[in-house]
Amino acid sequence: MITKLSHATLFVTDQDKAYNFYVTTLGFTVHTDAKMQNGFRWLTVSPPQQPDIEISLLSPLHEGMSYDEETKKAFKVLLDKNALGAGVLYTPDCYATYEELKAKGVEFKSEPREQFYGIEAIITDGCGNWFSMTQPKEM
Amino acid sequence: MPVQADTYKRIVAAKMFIDNNYHETINLEQISKQAYFSKFHFHRLFTGIYNVTPNEYLTAQRIHHAKILLAKEGISISDVCNSVGFESLASFSLLFKKRNGYGPLYYRNLAYLKNKLQKEQPKQFIPHCIIQQFGVEESKNQ
Repeated sequence: MITKLSHATLFVTDQDKAYNFYVTTLGFTVHTDAKMQNGFRWLTVSPPQQPDIEISLLSPLHEGMSYDEETKKAFKVLLDKNALGAGVLYTPDCYATYEELKAKGVEFKSEPREQFYGIEAIITDGCGNWFSMTQPKEM
Repeated sequence: MPVQADTYKRIVAAKMFIDNNYHETINLEQISKQAYFSKFHFHRLFTGIYNVTPNEYLTAQRIHHAKILLAKEGISISDVCNSVGFESLASFSLLFKKRNGYGPLYYRNLAYLKNKLQKEQPKQFIPHCIIQQFGVEESKNQ
């Protein structure tokens, strides 16, 4: 019986840059940071209040990955455009978080706007992914 | 009553002051000055936005940074305590245990073991499906 999600993968252009964004800027904690001899890096992070979820920050362009050249090119195009929509980040206050992250240099595709489900801004991680950053409406 | 955009900027400035100065001896008066609000008004606004009081947030930041330092070698627990702004080792240890369920020494030992294993046997941490599905080439030594 499946009871919960334990891991999810985010493809990123650059693992160091992704580390900076998720750990230093967003405040995620590092769960695992292990490097193999061939340079493959298994880097997983967890959101501040969800220590049991691991998000792996994986670079598909790493030379050790067995994707063919056509697949790597396709990944590069998508990641360079910040085209991959990764999910929804919860915030208790969208306006406050938006102001803080803007002050830290984070790029947003859209500023906070009222939606029927809450207040939402669209945030990019600078490594190929965008998220909805949402303060849900109180029921 | 909804919070005005300017108010958000001021509260965020104070929060970032805490983020950048958690290691210093700072109090509510100094923090609220960053937002140009009275202590009382600032406390109410900050707690309303972040669901924690400014002091709770400051303590959380200190403990967070303490964990990062405890995972490093070459710095004593007492020095970690002072580096992150706690004045007393006893209160640091107590607060740390209250938040994490175990004390700073236990956390340090766990972190040390994990770091050692990650360096010496990284494959122990990588799911086999990742190695298989993504075809990560393996070295003979691993």
